[in-house]
Amino acid sequence: MSIPGLHLTQIGHGDFLLDPSKSLNIRDRDSLIERVTAHLLQARAARLYYDLSDLALIDPLYYAWLDALARAARVVNVTMICIGMQPSAAFALSKFMSGKPAFQTALAIDGWHK
Amino acid sequence: MTAKKVLSEKVKALFALKVSGIAADLEVPGFAFFCGDNRLMDVDEVADLSHELESLLASLLSSKDPTDLSSAAFMATKDFFGNLSQKVLMRGGRVEDVVRYTQTLQLALIDALAKNSGIAFGQSRSVLVYFTGIFNELIMAVFGAYLEEREHTLQAQQAELKETATPITEIWDGVLTLPIIGTLDSSRTMLVMEALLNRISKDHARTVVMDLTGVKSIDSQVSHHLIQMVRAVQLMGSDAIITGIHPEIARALVSLNIDFTNITTRASMSDGLKEAFVRMGITVSH
Repeated sequence: MSIPGLHLTQIGHGDFLLDPSKSLNIRDRDSLIERVTAHLLQARAARLYYDLSDLALIDPLYYAWLDALARAARVVNVTMICIGMQPSAAFALSKFMSGKPAFQTALAIDGWHK
Repeated sequence: MTAKKVLSEKVKALFALKVSGIAADLEVPGFAFFCGDNRLMDVDEVADLSHELESLLASLLSSKDPTDLSSAAFMATKDFFGNLSQKVLMRGGRVEDVVRYTQTLQLALIDALAKNSGIAFGQSRSVLVYFTGIFNELIMAVFGAYLEEREHTLQAQQAELKETATPITEIWDGVLTLPIIGTLDSSRTMLVMEALLNRISKDHARTVVMDLTGVKSIDSQVSHHLIQMVRAVQLMGSDAIITGIHPEIARALVSLNIDFTNITTRASMSDGLKEAFVRMGITVSH
């Protein structure tokens, strides 16, 4: 399924991969979250893998988008796992983040364990 | 409109000279500065150097405009001195040796040219001014090469220091260990963090064991950096285990109000490794 700026693909039973593209407009986050969660609910998803491998930097605005999406996913009983975070992005994010993020993290899809 | 250079008779005579047969005279400063106790070069090497120099100086003096410091002939001479400086420094020589050699060479060159031509170049102010201008530029080239060499040495030392300051080892598939020894200041913590995150990305490490047994003290800023480092490791999807925290450091962390709630700690490196293996489902039997 394609949402403007996001590619949502089912990769297994209850597992979905969300791949953001360069055209993603996170200022439109409410509408994006609604469309993603609607699809996750419909497909009875359990996990949402958010691929960050193409993102060299995460600023507070992007973190707010990830946080909101993760919290919305949790409401519909879906665990969001950010995968492939680059060292530069992890460094930047760790500087302004306080506390535990709403999402989980893994090196890759197969690297996540509960 | 370009101003035409007015040259004295002696300088005109100098530029009209066919320079040859002065290599033996140019060898003298080379022997004095490079073949003495320091043994930076052997006699044959100095002889080759002097022949090359003679040919370069002959090209410069017979070039279209020998006063042009951007001419190909002058640039070749400048490169020669730059390379000479680099060679001497790499062999453990001092920059002072090359500078003194260059200064002495200027006098030797004027004497040799005067001897060969029979013209008293040493008594001509304009000839001295011309050679001083040329040799000052050559000394600048010597210093330029010296600074470049120093810069390379410093960079190499820094790279070595960086390597030894962050001895990250993959002790098992997907398990990295990082023993931190000595003082942990902010710049070093940043260095360690950068190296560690890049290594996690490269090796796809699932667990990192950071051992602080060798760290005797920690301040507020550094403890925050440490927490930041653990957080960054976790954000990349790896587990971080901190081991070997001294009682003094534990006390300092408490008094600094550092939250260790989401951080796994173990008493020793071996306990940290056991925990890493358990998390990865690895069983190690005796």
